[in-house]
Amino acid sequence: MSETILLPKRLRAPEVAAYLAEIRRKSADGGLTVDFREVEEFDGSALAFLAHLTDCEPGLGVVNVPDALTRAAARFSRRPGGHWPEKSAAETSGNRMGRLFRSLADRFLARLRVLRQYLAMLGDEIYHIGVYFKTRKGVYPGETWNQMFFMGYRSYPIVCMLLFLVGATISITSADQMRLFGAEVYIADLVGYAMLRELVPLMTGVILAGKVGAAVTAELASMSVLEEVDALRTMGVVPERFLMVPRLLSITLVVPLLVAMADVAGILGGMLVARITFGMLPSAFLKQMVNTVGWADFAWGLAKTVVFGWAVVVGAGFKGLTVGRSAEEVGRATTESVVLSITSIIIIDCIFAFVLY
Amino acid sequence: MDIIRAQGLTVGYGAEAILRDLSFGIPGGRITVVLGVSGSGKSTLLKTLAGLLPPLAGSLDFAGSPVDYSSERSLGSLYGRIGVLYQGGALLNGLSLYENVALPIRMHYPELPEDMVGDMVHAGLAQVEMADAAAKSPAELSGGMRKRGALARALVLDPDVVFCDEPSSGLDPITSSRLDDLLLRLKETLGMTLVVVTHELRSIERVADQVLVLADGRLHFAGEARGLAESGDEFIRTFFLRKDPT
Repeated sequence: MSETILLPKRLRAPEVAAYLAEIRRKSADGGLTVDFREVEEFDGSALAFLAHLTDCEPGLGVVNVPDALTRAAARFSRRPGGHWPEKSAAETSGNRMGRLFRSLADRFLARLRVLRQYLAMLGDEIYHIGVYFKTRKGVYPGETWNQMFFMGYRSYPIVCMLLFLVGATISITSADQMRLFGAEVYIADLVGYAMLRELVPLMTGVILAGKVGAAVTAELASMSVLEEVDALRTMGVVPERFLMVPRLLSITLVVPLLVAMADVAGILGGMLVARITFGMLPSAFLKQMVNTVGWADFAWGLAKTVVFGWAVVVGAGFKGLTVGRSAEEVGRATTESVVLSITSIIIIDCIFAFVLY
Repeated sequence: MDIIRAQGLTVGYGAEAILRDLSFGIPGGRITVVLGVSGSGKSTLLKTLAGLLPPLAGSLDFAGSPVDYSSERSLGSLYGRIGVLYQGGALLNGLSLYENVALPIRMHYPELPEDMVGDMVHAGLAQVEMADAAAKSPAELSGGMRKRGALARALVLDPDVVFCDEPSSGLDPITSSRLDDLLLRLKETLGMTLVVVTHELRSIERVADQVLVLADGRLHFAGEARGLAESGDEFIRTFFLRKDPT
């Protein structure tokens, strides 16, 4: 039995969606006709709707299409057939395993290129620091102090607070085990050794990655997008020196202070828990700790953290200065910078562990 | 005499050429306007002329010497003789306007005493009628003021050539006209060479001595600006009369 659907005067996206659903439901029975005679007001979706009914719904009758709609439909630019945009021949050729292998190989090679650029930038920065010390040119006066204020003064409260809590947590979690073996007194050795050698460098590095690294990348990436980096270059200023040398000098100078404060905070945290849990006097805790932990441990932790700081700032600068031209990329670069910094820190820490132990 | 000469220049990003085989000269002491529709490669060409983007092919001579894009020394020499006014001004946001204008002086001549730097900065800002705004940060300046401040920074070391990337974009007609006046004054009083990228017809008609017209990935026209609007060339007529060629 034939049926006619009379379309309304106003045919825009909401009406198109509703009538398309109705047409699909009824067209299964066959003999369906769509009547456009009432249509006066329409938009692009109505033109696409008309094209769809004509081309894609076999057995459907389309009648009384107004002249205005026919004229507009004639000028309506249809998308090309098939997939759009077309996939490249390389993407579609070969079997699934071949494509998977090619895709993995491409990604691996892209990562290698990024690693090469990263290492090149590290080398360049060492060169720029050398040139700066030799010529005393190319860095804005006072910028290193500004960066020290930001990286050191603005970071020490969070570093100290978190490391105090880490020290306390280490002490709490190991207290029961220590008590089990009657080795309560060795909690001081454990906290001192763990904090100075491992936890303070690692946690300080991670905090710097989140706080300093993200800020450096966001700042440099914004400067790149706003053409400020190009402006520096055409002023005859080398951006990689002007922007990075103060930050690298600053991180090198503030890290020892941060590490010293973080060591003290972490040990205080452990000491507090030892006092509460075992009633261990702070003097006894310190006396026990210095039997195991010495200046070499402090120096080793310090050296590691300076390397982590460099990894953070070079990674942040690398991501910030190689950003594209859109504002969207600033956010992406900032996220990637934090991931890159933390990954680098853990890899470097692992290498240190192999060398050290 | 041409201060810049391009021979067979092809410019683009990566391996993709945007403009091919451009050969032209930019005469000293005049204003050359580079015009074309959006996406025609005007800003890309400007980047290559300013030493920021190596050409894919061809060569560029600046003041008679070839520019070697792989040599830091050659590019440093180029940067020392040009100033660039970027589309958004590109003033450094962390510095005041005074410090922005002082930046190139302090970077190149750190031995200069601060009072001399101050005098040079003041003269540069006075040239663009911005001396009163020296202490303000770029965020406190309007779009037009930012561009004039950036122009002061570009001019402070007396470059031979100043490149201006769409100086009128985003400005109202009055501010845009004041900026055009400023460019004309720089040419007339200092004999400066200016290369201005724009598609603002009003600016072209007021300031241009010579034009380079870019279309379809090539140099469509290079020559005197006078009488350009009456040109028989269909693209130029379309551009100036805003008439659909069909």
